[in-house]
Amino acid sequence: MADEAPSPHKRDPIKASVGTVAAQKRREQAIMVGKEKREALMRAKRLCRIGVSNVNNDVPIDDNMMMDEEQSLLEAQTLKAVEDLKHAVAYQGKGTTEKRINALRELRRLLSRSEFPPVEASIEAGALPILVQCLSFDSPDEQLLEAAWCLTNMAAGKPEETKALLPALPLLIAHLGEKSALAVAEQCAWALGNVAGEGEELRNVLLSQGALPPLARMMLSNKGSTVRTAAWALSNLIKGPDSKAATETIRIDGVLDSILRHLNKADEELVTEVAWVVVYLTALSNVATNILAKSNPLQILVDRLASSNNLQLLIPVLRSLGNLVAADSYLTHNVLLADHETTVNAIQALVKCLRSEHRVLKKESAWALSNIAAGSVEHKKLIHSSEAVPSLIHLLLTSPFDIRKEAAYVLGNLCVAPAQGSERPSLILEHLVSLVRKGILPGFVDLVRSADIEAARVGLQFMELVLRGM
Amino acid sequence: MKGGEMGMEVEGSGAGFEFPFWKPLRRSFGPDFPFFEAGNLERELLAKQVALELTDSEKQQIRNLEDGGNSEVFCPIVGCGAHLKSLEEFEDHYNARHRASCSVCSKVFPTSRLLSIHVSESHDSFFQAKVARGFAMYECLVEGCGAKLMHYKSRQQHLIDKHKFPASFEFKKANPSRRHRQKLLHKKGSDDASSAPNMQVDEDSMDTLVSAVSRLSTSDSPSSISFGRRHTRGFAFVPRAVERERRPPSRSHAQTK
Repeated sequence: MADEAPSPHKRDPIKASVGTVAAQKRREQAIMVGKEKREALMRAKRLCRIGVSNVNNDVPIDDNMMMDEEQSLLEAQTLKAVEDLKHAVAYQGKGTTEKRINALRELRRLLSRSEFPPVEASIEAGALPILVQCLSFDSPDEQLLEAAWCLTNMAAGKPEETKALLPALPLLIAHLGEKSALAVAEQCAWALGNVAGEGEELRNVLLSQGALPPLARMMLSNKGSTVRTAAWALSNLIKGPDSKAATETIRIDGVLDSILRHLNKADEELVTEVAWVVVYLTALSNVATNILAKSNPLQILVDRLASSNNLQLLIPVLRSLGNLVAADSYLTHNVLLADHETTVNAIQALVKCLRSEHRVLKKESAWALSNIAAGSVEHKKLIHSSEAVPSLIHLLLTSPFDIRKEAAYVLGNLCVAPAQGSERPSLILEHLVSLVRKGILPGFVDLVRSADIEAARVGLQFMELVLRGM
Repeated sequence: MKGGEMGMEVEGSGAGFEFPFWKPLRRSFGPDFPFFEAGNLERELLAKQVALELTDSEKQQIRNLEDGGNSEVFCPIVGCGAHLKSLEEFEDHYNARHRASCSVCSKVFPTSRLLSIHVSESHDSFFQAKVARGFAMYECLVEGCGAKLMHYKSRQQHLIDKHKFPASFEFKKANPSRRHRQKLLHKKGSDDASSAPNMQVDEDSMDTLVSAVSRLSTSDSPSSISFGRRHTRGFAFVPRAVERERRPPSRSHAQTK
């Protein structure tokens, strides 16, 4: 998948255990650089987190010709299924409900066989208005579930296809209600998550239709799958760039407590989804950051960082931590890291990330440390005397450019006292001397040479410190 | 909104250019800032997810997961707190105790709020009286909006204009009364108690219905609404990947990455 522009007719032969292969693919994809490739990736239809049903095919799939044939068969079947559904809905006689549900199920099956469902075919056949009808309030749960499932997969396709779901949105939102059967609400949340994931425009439509409160409230549930699905959908809904939704979310009764509660759970997938919600809350909304900060979130986040090795979980947890300490000096110094033990543990957890093999973890943990090191003298001392320093020096001297820059920020911040107004900040000579003696200067010299102006500035500024003090 | 900051400031002074000394400043970034690009990459792939059918082995895996382990649950509905021993039991309890159906016409709603709006608008002659006297009684359906409109149609328009509802959306009024539906059933010989769920009721017949039905509901207080179990065909809860014919085991909703 790495180099091909994805089209609906291409498939990845997925032979081995789906979990590891899919994970491997994701990792490979994450390393890819280049705008076009990235854009192609983003447009690519995504594997369901469960896996692919054609895992049963051990025969390697032989390309385009077979694909096209299969695809047109699928489209013909879809057309028929929609027609059957239309008849079933129009039918008024005996057993009408059962007919309707069977027809829905047939369509749903066609739409959920592979990661490239025949969405276009179903829309062209006129499935949308019928599905909307099937979402009416009185409908039996099974009908609602099947209809919502069809819509879920129809929303997972191309932008124009997702947009076609507009007429269904208010009903999907309504069925998130507290009186809906949980399975139905969950499926609607999934569908809405796909719609919100399409882009800002649809996100705004959903928000103006009142999708946020019921979706956020689903996170208060005890049921893992409900929380996971709702959190994922919610993260798509509030990711901005407007901060209003994020602010609104934290203000909903019970949301804050449930977030903290869920972050402590054993289910790592669940924690990952909830952590992404926290990422957006803290990155977008000062109000949310403040409220969160005051409920002692650090200990939970630090514990997760320390105890997990799951990259998918570590990224949003680390980012949440980073966002929290980046928000505001007062908050960081007097609230988040007011406690000595919490600070020590936080530094330790960040060191673990510094030592990780993953680029993202190294970079963002260094960034977080740089913000803590921008704080009080006490915090600087704690970092300076911790195991962070050897790791940072190593990173400064050996790692890729963006990580080196972050490490430089930390080390430099350790050598300078907090800024007092507009005066030139004074040196912390002890730190400067000890660090220079450990050989960090070449790292800064290197930065001066880089093409990036910011990095060059950082290098020069550090040299000024050295000249001033030594 | 947060943006990126540089870890430095240039200080000007009368004497000309001064060196931009190192100032330890916080740097924060918005969620889509390039700084986070690498970490976001995988997440962006998950922006949309297809809900696939599970393979048989996966279904089995889930069944195994569900049977063991702690699936005890306390009902999360505020004020209930009932203790259920399994997810299946929980689903049954939930549907028995916490559904919102109209005691007059049996229409089911996904939220209490929608139910109460429905009852007021469809079964309450007091409501109709106020409407007739020119009060703005039709509430906006979107939670938190608070707008009230004079007519059903203008509320409709408000939803379309203000909240981007599609023109095809309708908050339909009551199903015909039970009595009326019985008549229909006898005529058509239908065994489906829910009748055609999309029967449209226009405002004229609405009035007749309201007056007929007002004998059934005596007041507009919430106590007249009873949350009963709605007779539904098929299941109240369907584990997604399990065939209808088979006995549904507990929840299947798989996921392991």
